[in-house]
Amino acid sequence: MPRASTISLWQYITAIILVFVLTFHLIERVPGLSPLTATSYEESLEYEKVAKAYESYGPVLAVLLVVALFHGLNGVRGILLEWRQGVTWTLLVNLLFWILFLGFTGYGLLTIIAHLQM
Amino acid sequence: MPKPKLLQNMPGLVKASLNPWLIRVRNNPERIAFILHRITGVIIAVYLLAHIYVTSLSTNPELWTRTMEVFGASLLNKIGEWIVAGAVIFHGLNGIRLILVEFLGIGIGKPEKPKPPYIAPSLRGGQRKALYLVFALSLIGWILAGFLIFTGHLPLP
Repeated sequence: MPRASTISLWQYITAIILVFVLTFHLIERVPGLSPLTATSYEESLEYEKVAKAYESYGPVLAVLLVVALFHGLNGVRGILLEWRQGVTWTLLVNLLFWILFLGFTGYGLLTIIAHLQM
Repeated sequence: MPKPKLLQNMPGLVKASLNPWLIRVRNNPERIAFILHRITGVIIAVYLLAHIYVTSLSTNPELWTRTMEVFGASLLNKIGEWIVAGAVIFHGLNGIRLILVEFLGIGIGKPEKPKPPYIAPSLRGGQRKALYLVFALSLIGWILAGFLIFTGHLPLP
């Protein structure tokens, strides 16, 4: 793992990126503000609107996926490392972080790619 | 008397200054925000993993439509969505405060000689007001999210 100070810096950087990207993602669900022109919350979740979101904002969703996963999983990692100390525990938590981060990043990217190829 | 399990796992970390979970919440809104930030963070992290799985169903139009119909008809699911929305709103707003305070050093005042009665500049600075603003805006945002999730629309003209 990189130094704790470097990881901490990335936690803040990803937080700043999330403020913008996640706000955009949430606005997609709000009628009147939604760039998907949805007239209700339910309509914004209909297949046509969701497919349009992937098609129009695929790269934004990819950034959101990677940044949110890093920020979220690293946050939980920090809580777990603070809760209990030990070489084995630290190794286990770090390993779990990388497995979940890489696994879910790959899985999410496959969804985005599948939509872009449809 | 045996030590609590938490402390057994943390030899040398008994003092509350090193264990943030043990710091008293009374008269300490920053501590309330700290605990809420962590709880909402864990809620969002768990939701995120589930969200990535559910959105992968959207590659199959029929399956996606059926799943959304089931989710849309479930009151329990809507309550869950509302809890997650509240968690995201508080975590996001408090996160912006933390970026300003911890990352950019804004709103915490300047160091000064500790003359009694001493109240740290960080507790008198703008960050305390920002914290109360975060609590207020989170509550308003959570109520609006409730309207959006349960009625489909915001109660705005």
